[in-house]
Amino acid sequence: MSVSSESSALLIVGHGSTVNPDSSAPSLEQAAAIRAHDIFREVACCFWKEEPSLRDALFLFSDPEIREVYVVPNFISEGYFTQTVIPRELELDGRLTTRPDGQVWKYCEPVGNHPGVTELLLRRAREVAPQVPEAETSLVIVAHGTPLNDKSAIAAKREVEKIAALGRYASVQNAYMEESPLISDWPRLTNAPNVIVVPFFISDGLHSYEDIPVLLGIGAESGAASSPRAVFRRNPHRLHGRNLYYASAIGTEPKFAEIIIEQARAFDEAALDLRPIA
Amino acid sequence: MLPRISRALADWISAGARGIGQIEIQHDGGGFVLCHFDDIARKDLEIFRSPNDAAELAKFDDEGNYRPLKTAPNLRRGWRLELPDLEALQEALDFFYPGRLAVLAAWEANRLTTAPLRQTLHRQSGMYRVAAKISDEQIDTVVGQFCRSRGGNPGCLRTILWSRDATGARPSQHLPLEKFIAPIDQTGRGETRIPLLCQEACNLLVAEAREVVAEARETTSRAE
Repeated sequence: MSVSSESSALLIVGHGSTVNPDSSAPSLEQAAAIRAHDIFREVACCFWKEEPSLRDALFLFSDPEIREVYVVPNFISEGYFTQTVIPRELELDGRLTTRPDGQVWKYCEPVGNHPGVTELLLRRAREVAPQVPEAETSLVIVAHGTPLNDKSAIAAKREVEKIAALGRYASVQNAYMEESPLISDWPRLTNAPNVIVVPFFISDGLHSYEDIPVLLGIGAESGAASSPRAVFRRNPHRLHGRNLYYASAIGTEPKFAEIIIEQARAFDEAALDLRPIA
Repeated sequence: MLPRISRALADWISAGARGIGQIEIQHDGGGFVLCHFDDIARKDLEIFRSPNDAAELAKFDDEGNYRPLKTAPNLRRGWRLELPDLEALQEALDFFYPGRLAVLAAWEANRLTTAPLRQTLHRQSGMYRVAAKISDEQIDTVVGQFCRSRGGNPGCLRTILWSRDATGARPSQHLPLEKFIAPIDQTGRGETRIPLLCQEACNLLVAEAREVVAEARETTSRAE
């Protein structure tokens, strides 16, 4: 059975936050956008750190008409949450879970795994610096990065390799907040007169509002009284003889709604591929 | 036929429920008007008309602090939300009290599963694994403060349906018995109100349990 507006529901799983009011915003906005398309009978969100919780989500799709629930993690990569927390809290047996009432829950790949993310990174870079020639620009994708097993760093690296292979930018570079190459070294890591920095995160928050700007050397410009989003509106910053353009988190891109839908559809396509060849 | 959750809401409204949590629900023709229950007599309320406005209204308290727990009794005041129909009402309530109508509908259909606190804590991994080491006495105190309907820290208006452990013991003796009986409303107003049910400890309480264990360990190690 594939995605149907009669019998399918969509559950977008986000991290959420107990301190950052903007953390759940991308998931909620994308849910609203998808609802308007009328592709699913119901569209809901749940969060690890906000309400409704992942445990609450077990009760969100109670109508007998809903025969399958597509679970799409709004996470930038596979990792601890997608592999441990979400399956445990949603009581998923694996990719396919049949509930006692016969309702089937389909556990899809996280949004960050979708090949379309590359195009969204390029789009975000063009939006933040529309008049700037790509050949005279270094693009920096900044992820968190930790000495522990951080798969978002691997995903960010994969995106950099894909964009670099296009040969459009003077250079394409990974950087991290907590491991080498550090984002604070951007003047040394890049060589073009223009530098675009895109945070590889699902939502804006402390990292994109404050931590990365400070590491870039543009944090001091943020006034406590101004909106935290003001940091994205002051481009370009003239620093170290370069023009620095700073974008908001990639997950805030509205087109992620399409990626969520595609991850649900991809589940069924992948399942078809797994059928034994007759 | 209405979907199950909408039907549960419609039944409560037609049974005369005055509101849910700190929200007063008044009929206005075929539509509904919502406001904070302490604002009923006020004429200077800011008017909103979309269920989506509820998301922003629920986000911060009167001091502008972010509200990570939407069932905490700190809903901001000063607004009036005018909604055209039951569908819009449900949408708005899903922003004000996310997931609560679904849990209520499941409870009424006898489909709600609850989990004892210790089961929730033992399931945790990573940074929350240590929370399972909390003692029964510490649970008594933490739940008594964190989940208290009025005067708690932060406090919560849900009715607790989970026990401390497999024995079925109440998690806190500091809370009144009615805190654990559904469908008793927890605002203390003595009216018919749609109850906010809690089938399992929330992530915030799990985080609080972790803090308590961590602090106790720190105190012990300092004493040594």
